[in-house]
Amino acid sequence: MAKILTGGVGKAEVATAVTGLGIAGIEIAVSSDMDAAAALSAGRADYFLGTCHTGAGASLGVLVGLLGRADCHTFGRSVPTEADVTALLAEGKRVFGFSLDRIDTVAPLMARAIAARTV
Amino acid sequence: MGTALAAAADAAGLDFSPAQKLLVVGVCALTAGAAHMALAVFNDGVRPFMLDFIHGRATRNATGAVSFGLSAGFVFGLGAPMALSTGVLNPWLLFLPTDVLGILAPRRWLAPLLGAAWGAVVVYGLGGANELAHGLPVDFLTAMRQMSTPILFLFALFPALAVTKQFGRLRGALTGAVTLGLVVLTMRVWPGVFAGAPAMAVGVLMLIGFAVAADVRTARAPGTVAAEGAGGVGMGPGAEDPMASLFSSGAARLRRHLPLFMALGAGVCALAQMKVFGGGEATSFLIAKGQYAEAAQVDFYRVFGFLPLIATTALASGAYGIAGFTLVYPIGYLLPNPFVAAAVGALVFALEVLALSSIGRALGRLPSVRDCSEHLRAAIGDALGLAILFGSLMAANAMGGGLGILICGGLYLLNEAMGRPVVRMAAAPAAVLAGGVALNGLYWLGLFTPVAGGPA
Repeated sequence: MAKILTGGVGKAEVATAVTGLGIAGIEIAVSSDMDAAAALSAGRADYFLGTCHTGAGASLGVLVGLLGRADCHTFGRSVPTEADVTALLAEGKRVFGFSLDRIDTVAPLMARAIAARTV
Repeated sequence: MGTALAAAADAAGLDFSPAQKLLVVGVCALTAGAAHMALAVFNDGVRPFMLDFIHGRATRNATGAVSFGLSAGFVFGLGAPMALSTGVLNPWLLFLPTDVLGILAPRRWLAPLLGAAWGAVVVYGLGGANELAHGLPVDFLTAMRQMSTPILFLFALFPALAVTKQFGRLRGALTGAVTLGLVVLTMRVWPGVFAGAPAMAVGVLMLIGFAVAADVRTARAPGTVAAEGAGGVGMGPGAEDPMASLFSSGAARLRRHLPLFMALGAGVCALAQMKVFGGGEATSFLIAKGQYAEAAQVDFYRVFGFLPLIATTALASGAYGIAGFTLVYPIGYLLPNPFVAAAVGALVFALEVLALSSIGRALGRLPSVRDCSEHLRAAIGDALGLAILFGSLMAANAMGGGLGILICGGLYLLNEAMGRPVVRMAAAPAAVLAGGVALNGLYWLGLFTPVAGGPA
């Protein structure tokens, strides 16, 4: 079971979008950058999905500073392919930022890729 | 025609006095300097990346590229159209480019020069562009003023939306009903007051009340924290240390540069006092109409949506916001003259920077309050999104009736169908500008007659 936390401006929408898919093997909860930073470093959660208007810095908030740039990736307003996401997850990225107006495509993509990894 | 043109240009207000021009140029030089030294950036999205730049893990060019990528859409999509349609300057137009120019400038002395040059381009160039556009047969800038009614009235709903997102339907409906009741009451009893102002005040107070009540309840009964609360109140003793040390080094870096921040506060507050600058998304329309007290209220409530984000990103990166917590905007609108504004602005910035550490600690203990700021920003985005889309279609209708709606609405839908190359929020105003140009083209080809009477 992979635990995903959401944060940023569209955190409620991301959680709703993913919960609605009913994917097995993942659990998603609404959080915030500060709580998620604590939870991820303490091992109480595995992944963070952040959103803001640009899909960059504000989506990640304090996570870039606390977990380090190496753990973080921002898609900005671009839409990644499933292969991109799988590759990033394999590299060890745990914190992802994307833009509000891409939630409907990127959030399910991320959730499926994370679920595929944990099964 | 000549007098009508002059009247239009006058109404649009892009006629700055020499003192105002000088202040804009000076403040832009200062903000570019602050961005160059990585002490402050306006774009909240760029701030987290400043940490790596400050510590030398990212180059000036790479950071500049990030800043440009994150800011360009907001300059052309939000800042420029809003300034053109209201005649009032805004921080996206002035401070996003000075972020980029300041960070990219290879030498320290070059940054203020580039910033000043941008300020001059804005104060001189915008007036010219404005005059030119108003002289066209299809005046899309005057049509753009249709935007103000939907923005002002839908903006009043943002606290109710935020309450619904955070605390569910029941309390959301209650806040919505109170908002609507207050708008009706205000229109009836105090016709001189902007109808949304008391409603917004009460709505924001209700949201903060619900949030604080939730935190107090959680603090009293720690056993009841929901399993999906994700960490909840306590950071845990093991996890608190890295955050605390990161935050204290950020706060210490900012305190070392206190005089520069006081100068920045003085400049931004004086700019807000000059009545040619609107800080928030809805404020430019109010400033343009001379409703300063209402503008101050709107921007004051907006502070609650942005304060936690600005405080935590500033503490985590060691770079502050160009406008701080943006409290200097509403203070500036209300002060009687620029000298008082400069003094008060400097003081406010000094207090903000000195209080950052304690604010960061307090926010750590109030998860619902931090949560509520994110819902507030999401609600502001939702309300504005609809308002800007609807206002843009009203502008399209004012310019060219059905044909205008077809062209502007069509461009918006095309952007959606192509996977939104232009950010959704900016797509509709951009479509109005493009549609306005297209209608002028059709006019010159003899294929289009402007709507009778022109846009009012």
